[in-house]
Amino acid sequence: MIFSELYSAYYNAVAGILKAAAARPLGSGELRGIIEKNAFGESLPNIESAIAEERWQLLCKDGSAAVRNTPTMPLTMLEKRWLKAIYADPRVRLFTDEEIDLPDADPLFGPDDISVFDRYSDGDPYEDEAYIKNFRLILDAVRNRYPLSIHITNRRGGVTHMVMMPEYLEYSEKDDKFRLIGSSCRYGGVVNLGRIVSCRPYTKPFEEKPGGKKQPRIGTVEFELYDKRNALERVLMHFAHFEKQAEKTGEDRYKVTVKYDRDDETEIVIRFLSFGPMVKATAPRHFVELIKGRLLRQKNCGQ
Amino acid sequence: MAYSELIKNFSRIRDYMREFYVYGFKSREEYTKKSARSYDDERRRLESWLGDHMRFRRTADGKNIFISIDSRLSRHNPLYRAWKTKSFTDGDITLHFILFDILDSPDTVLSLNEIAEKIDGYLTSFSEPRMFDASTVRKKLNEYIAEGIIVSEKRGKTMFYRRAESESVTAEDADMLDFFSEVSPCGVIGSYLLDKIEPHESHVAFKHHYITAAMDSDIVCSLLYAMSEKRYAAIETVTRHNRRISQKYVIPLRIMVSVQGGRQYLMAYVPRFKRMISFRTDNIISVEPGEVCGRFDEFRKKLDGMLPNLWGVSTQSASGERIEHVEFTVTYKADETYIHQRLEREKRCGSVEKLDEHSSRFSADVFDAGELVPWIRTFICRITDISFSNKELETQFWDDIKEMYAMYGLEGGDSR
Repeated sequence: MIFSELYSAYYNAVAGILKAAAARPLGSGELRGIIEKNAFGESLPNIESAIAEERWQLLCKDGSAAVRNTPTMPLTMLEKRWLKAIYADPRVRLFTDEEIDLPDADPLFGPDDISVFDRYSDGDPYEDEAYIKNFRLILDAVRNRYPLSIHITNRRGGVTHMVMMPEYLEYSEKDDKFRLIGSSCRYGGVVNLGRIVSCRPYTKPFEEKPGGKKQPRIGTVEFELYDKRNALERVLMHFAHFEKQAEKTGEDRYKVTVKYDRDDETEIVIRFLSFGPMVKATAPRHFVELIKGRLLRQKNCGQ
Repeated sequence: MAYSELIKNFSRIRDYMREFYVYGFKSREEYTKKSARSYDDERRRLESWLGDHMRFRRTADGKNIFISIDSRLSRHNPLYRAWKTKSFTDGDITLHFILFDILDSPDTVLSLNEIAEKIDGYLTSFSEPRMFDASTVRKKLNEYIAEGIIVSEKRGKTMFYRRAESESVTAEDADMLDFFSEVSPCGVIGSYLLDKIEPHESHVAFKHHYITAAMDSDIVCSLLYAMSEKRYAAIETVTRHNRRISQKYVIPLRIMVSVQGGRQYLMAYVPRFKRMISFRTDNIISVEPGEVCGRFDEFRKKLDGMLPNLWGVSTQSASGERIEHVEFTVTYKADETYIHQRLEREKRCGSVEKLDEHSSRFSADVFDAGELVPWIRTFICRITDISFSNKELETQFWDDIKEMYAMYGLEGGDSR
């Protein structure tokens, strides 16, 4: 069962409490800290009172644990089956060479059970040894924060060299590609891992530039949505992964505001166009002009 | 019943989460036609679980609650928290931690009576010690056997119990779990595993990341179980606009995931209709496994054979034609060759032909050409020619373009 108390935040909180109390009696401040870390906004009084009133007979009055060991639980069959499935995914090699030994568990799913039908076909080469090596080095550099010297193939087919402080990796499910987001780099600090020719630690003195971290330039687009052909559901679902707001303005009309990264504006324009006359951009002006510009160019596309 | 932060059943909160996250424009009054108390309770729970992600806006119609999450900034899907809210009894939690303390290693093997005696020993320091009778302990052990965390073995007439052997996840698995818990089906299970290791900074962020599938985790999991055992399944589905619930007996064959639209579908063979049908997983409200289907492999092969003509998940056209043809030509400048590459990498079936230095043509035979229209519209500004075998669709395509011209004050002239 995927919805089970075995995985609940309350069980996790109590496991944390008993782990701490196994070492020494727990004070109320520490108890609260563990609950706040593991559970939800309203959990504190619930858990505190259940322990204090001895409804949950696990922590003694003096703050010591009623159990002897640090709480542990074996992996459930569901967890084992899920792990077994992801260990069969080629992308797991980006993280580990180890095989998983779970002889009693069948994978929860395999390639025949799941299909992503609209992913772009030129995803990163996850089984390429050089790619795996670069990925692992970058991940290590992100974890341990050291600069990298990177050569990439640029858009014109030449090679560009850059030095950067790696900040984090970014994965796009649509593109099926990883990008490295870095800082203190003169080329914008975004590198597609699939374009890397070589990558190694930068060992010369490296000075991080203050304010060198790439900050997203947030844009906001406002549009009217006409709920024809189930457009309301399709549009709101499509833009669900952005921060957005929707407001009903008429019988079948809605005003929607979506925040996006200005670096992705062309992509947003294209996604917007895909909804045809069911959406109409109303602000900002430059976004409306981008849509109008494409429509005007279409008008000029004679057969 | 008094309000509780924890819940017994996920289905009601699933509906509210979907409404608050995907739509978020309804006022309290629109939700409370059935039960004002239910709305208030579910809203309060979500506020407790999701904290700052719950927002509200005042409008003329009242206060609108919505969930706002930029999935590019949240490296862990906040909606997974809802799956960690299953209610339990005071006895459940007490027994759980004591049982695993008694069965502290796979080498500790005890009978039911031995376990029951030891439990009593744990409770003596409390002012009013709980009493767990043998049947309660046996029931809990059997639940845990079903979950795979306790193993039983019979010696003579006596049943003995021990904890299951298993590998554990460690801090070294953190990056892998951070990644797969977000991109893998039933990723919430990865989130459960992450809860077993110390909190850490995630090093991977996500773009184009739909988190709504989290709400359908149990449905997808049940379907995967049925598929792995090649079983039929009785599924209950709801039609959103009229809330009508219907039941179908199907052979679940594949979960089809859209990373561009955020939806997930079940592809299943429906014996009653003798055809392959797709069901949105967010419209499935329950799954009951049925008998083993001897023809499972045959139907899956049939589905595989349909893939070259399947653009999305629709296996039937509006026109009634078995297969519809679509082709269109796009034009581009010398420095826009990426347009040809776009066609190549974005096509899901069909073929792309480079006509000359400045134009390329895409063509495909598909079950439902209507599914391609949104994609074709992304090439607006360079479509020089388009042809559908379904002429109604072709007319609608150009009518839509004309409507767009009108919307932006660009009326007049040929849309092409």
